[in-house]
Amino acid sequence: MSLSTVPPAAVPAAAPKPRRKARFGSGKHDYVRAGLWIALLFAVFIWTIPLIFMIFTSLKSEADIFGTPAFVPPWNPEWGNYVSALDRGNLLNAGANSLIIAVFKVPIGLLISAAAAFALARLKFRRQRLLMGVIAMGAMVPIQVAIAPLFQVIMGLNLLSTHVGVILPYIAFGLPYQTFIMYGFFRAIPVEIDESARMDGAGNWRLFLQIILPLSLPALAALFILDFVATWNEYSIALALLQSQDSWTIPLAIQGFQSQFTSSYGPLNAFTIMSVFPVLIVYLMFQRYFVEGAFAGAVKG
Amino acid sequence: MSTSTAPPRPRSTSGSRAQRRAAKVSKTGFIAALPFLAPALAAYLVFVVGPMIESVRISFFEWSGFQGAPQEFVGFKNYVRIFTQDPVFWTALSNTIIWVLLSLVIPVALGLTLAVALNRPLFGRNAFRSLFYIPGVLAPIAIANMWRWMYNPNFGVGATLAELFNLPWLGEIQWLGDQRLALYSIFAAFVWQIAGTNMVLFLAGLQSVVPEHIEAAKLDGASGWQIFRNVTFPALRPITVIVVVLTIINSIKVFDLIVGMTGGGPAQKTQVLALWSFTQSFGNNEYGMGNAIATVLLIITLIIVVPYMVWTARQEKNS
Amino acid sequence: MRAHSKAAALLVSAVTVAGLAGCAGGGSDSGKTEVTWFKLTETAETANATIKEVIADFEEANPDIDIVLEERSTDAHKDALRTTLGTSGAPDIFFSWAGPGLGGEFIEAGASLDLAEYYEEYGWEERFSEAAMGTVTQYGGYDGVPYTQRGEALFYNKELFAEAGIDAAPTSYDELVAAAEKLTAAGITPIQFGGTVNWHVMRLLDSILETKCGEDGYQALVSGEASWADEECVTETFTEFQTWTSEYLNPGFISINNDESSALFFGGEAAMALEGDWFNQSVRDNGMDEASVGVFPFPTGTGRIYGFNENNYISANSEHPDEAAKFLDYITSEEAQEKLIDAFGSQSVNVNVKPEGGSELDQAWTPIFENATGVYMNNDQNLSLAQTTEYWRIQNLVATGQLDPEDAGAEFQKFIDQS
Repeated sequence: MSLSTVPPAAVPAAAPKPRRKARFGSGKHDYVRAGLWIALLFAVFIWTIPLIFMIFTSLKSEADIFGTPAFVPPWNPEWGNYVSALDRGNLLNAGANSLIIAVFKVPIGLLISAAAAFALARLKFRRQRLLMGVIAMGAMVPIQVAIAPLFQVIMGLNLLSTHVGVILPYIAFGLPYQTFIMYGFFRAIPVEIDESARMDGAGNWRLFLQIILPLSLPALAALFILDFVATWNEYSIALALLQSQDSWTIPLAIQGFQSQFTSSYGPLNAFTIMSVFPVLIVYLMFQRYFVEGAFAGAVKG
Repeated sequence: MSTSTAPPRPRSTSGSRAQRRAAKVSKTGFIAALPFLAPALAAYLVFVVGPMIESVRISFFEWSGFQGAPQEFVGFKNYVRIFTQDPVFWTALSNTIIWVLLSLVIPVALGLTLAVALNRPLFGRNAFRSLFYIPGVLAPIAIANMWRWMYNPNFGVGATLAELFNLPWLGEIQWLGDQRLALYSIFAAFVWQIAGTNMVLFLAGLQSVVPEHIEAAKLDGASGWQIFRNVTFPALRPITVIVVVLTIINSIKVFDLIVGMTGGGPAQKTQVLALWSFTQSFGNNEYGMGNAIATVLLIITLIIVVPYMVWTARQEKNS
Repeated sequence: MRAHSKAAALLVSAVTVAGLAGCAGGGSDSGKTEVTWFKLTETAETANATIKEVIADFEEANPDIDIVLEERSTDAHKDALRTTLGTSGAPDIFFSWAGPGLGGEFIEAGASLDLAEYYEEYGWEERFSEAAMGTVTQYGGYDGVPYTQRGEALFYNKELFAEAGIDAAPTSYDELVAAAEKLTAAGITPIQFGGTVNWHVMRLLDSILETKCGEDGYQALVSGEASWADEECVTETFTEFQTWTSEYLNPGFISINNDESSALFFGGEAAMALEGDWFNQSVRDNGMDEASVGVFPFPTGTGRIYGFNENNYISANSEHPDEAAKFLDYITSEEAQEKLIDAFGSQSVNVNVKPEGGSELDQAWTPIFENATGVYMNNDQNLSLAQTTEYWRIQNLVATGQLDPEDAGAEFQKFIDQS
């Protein structure tokens, strides 16, 4: 078990070293860096325009929206837009649905994918790589290809407009990518680890649960975040499978709100902002893990 | 795929001696692997493979999609119709291709540039990274709403800037209404959405560049570009493959942004295959046609993906 | 090892069960009968409030029935019906436009319950007008219960008309074009449309088609008896339509939707709107001075009114058809209709409910309905779904100057011939 702590700890420690050295670079480099910094600042400004635009609009009264240029900040913030958006938009219900779906889908999906990836990467059986290929292919195929028949399947199971009815296909459609990524990650773990574990009498399950999984925590964390975000944002499957408004997820609620109250620009933008809050929070909270995960993944892969 | 079917035993593949030994110790065979695989395979077969096969089957039938409505076998008629009569299919196909090609160039190049720039020690580097990445976590449908609002011909960014700087031509641009422009206007939102994701992936890849190698190259008198070409770029190769694959996957199934911004209009000029298939099935109640288009999309995807997978399998074998 | 796999399986199934439990959804825990009703969101918010009020009245009188209302916007509602009807996800009652292109498709697919028994039980045949009953019996059985009878006409801003020097509402198509010309000259957008929802601009195209082809020509074209490729009036229609879209519509109409374009009318930036009687309430809700708004029928010269019927249908697989029928009986009753038409500002389907009171704008509709010699229906209700999609594509191509009006009719006919 002690092995598992080695790679992640070693990696970040190595990073700051060159940074410090570079800080005392030559004068020429400082100019380059200043220019780069300004260019980046400009780029970030361009990048945030849509967000700024949305935030401003969400805080303007109708008169201000029509009467003042879009880039003028809302000097008299109209918080009523948020109230009105909450009032009309069913946001809390949709948020609860999205949360329930993500809370079940993400861990279960990851566990199932990890188990499959473990079998494919660390166990031996015939046609193993062919199977990996077939599963990976699922990640490449656009969901829309299967959506009409998928609708029939879920309907046949009597699961339309239920959480389970959308969690199951979400898990299935998440599998190929997650399995593929974890397969790569697992294969990068030195086989000597398996070897010594087996010497100690560990079976497949112990190897998987107590050695490979803990070693892969960075990758799991990264996939967890990615998958949470993807699940939260998924639209096309939900569009087909969640028919009743009670079961709507956030993206359906956004689209529903926008098609019903298109010209209520203030509340519409307020609604959009509130709908992206949860993922933003998750992202900002777990950003570190995410970057570390991707980082470690790249180092190993 | 043929290459990957070749090695039935680990001996002939990349397996090191240790791996072989490990294999010997473990319970070999599919039976031991089955408990690990079963849940994944079951879900995959029922909800992914099954519907895909069903989709191909329905493409040979004429069906309204209503329960109880008869399915009439029509052979290749649906395919003949989409290829020769469907007034939108070719637009959707060429838009899909344009979208994939553009995605492989613009957001990838942008992501790489940002990654290289933000890989240096800079004041506020993490804030920069976060801001560039944020659009990547937003729901595409929310992004569509934001951009639709920005493109609003009366109150949007263009209209506002036009008024501010007295540029009437700018105010007259129909970002989403002009048939020649609309697809690219939506694509701009896609670039905004995805460039940050590419940046993070490239940044992760850049961490695998060994600083000592760069130092060594510097000592050898290599220029910045030479270092990038000979040290950085090779190190980025694995991540580049991932970025390219992800880009193709994401761009071939683009759907939400278009639904949210134009719904395929004006006059179906921003249709893509994924959305047109959906529209034919669910909008026009032409399930046969819709699934025929889905099948075409499936085939196109396979044409792109299978050679790639064969290639990676070979790479892996050689390395 | 086996123990581990069992534990994992248990975990997975436990979590799944918890998930199932977590989504109780429409359980009837209170012992009430739940009747779901999918309906279109009314354009005016006050109308939505009135509907909730009427539902509350019904539930009070029938404490054992719970009406679960699900409202959607036009396109979302159409999508929801297409995907749920005939399935277990179908509502007990669904609202639909009654024309063959929309409601007709559902009935053909067997999604609607034949209500002959309820028509007898509640004596509905006496309650509804002949025209409304016609929409119920047009498919051979008794499908649906009339809900509304909608008329569409041109709303105009009297102040803007005066500003452009137009003294009276146009009474002929030529006068209408002249008015548009005058408004343009005065720097006013003559009429607003939102192009992203295709059915909005379609109203203009349909109305010009009725103008140019006349009553018989219109009916022959939409029923497939005449060829769109051969009729000279079709080319004239598309030519006129292109003139409108290039000169008289709000610039950028193609990239906004009807709500956004309506804001132009409410804000006094566009002089006319081709809207239905539901728009009266929207005018009020959006703070427009009602006295400054007038309404006149699109001067097609045929005497027919532009409009359509909306019915509520009971799903063929509804488990509570009796309760559903009871509810439909209530909302078409005099008591409920009095309330509803006040909010809708429209004509009641119940022949005993006469439009009384109401504002001047509401009253303005009465002669329009009374003088109408018939109805020309919106073409998305006349044509099949696939044809409608194509009709809109051609409409938008012509509207944006990408297709020569001369070729438009032939292009559409080509599609009709193929399907």
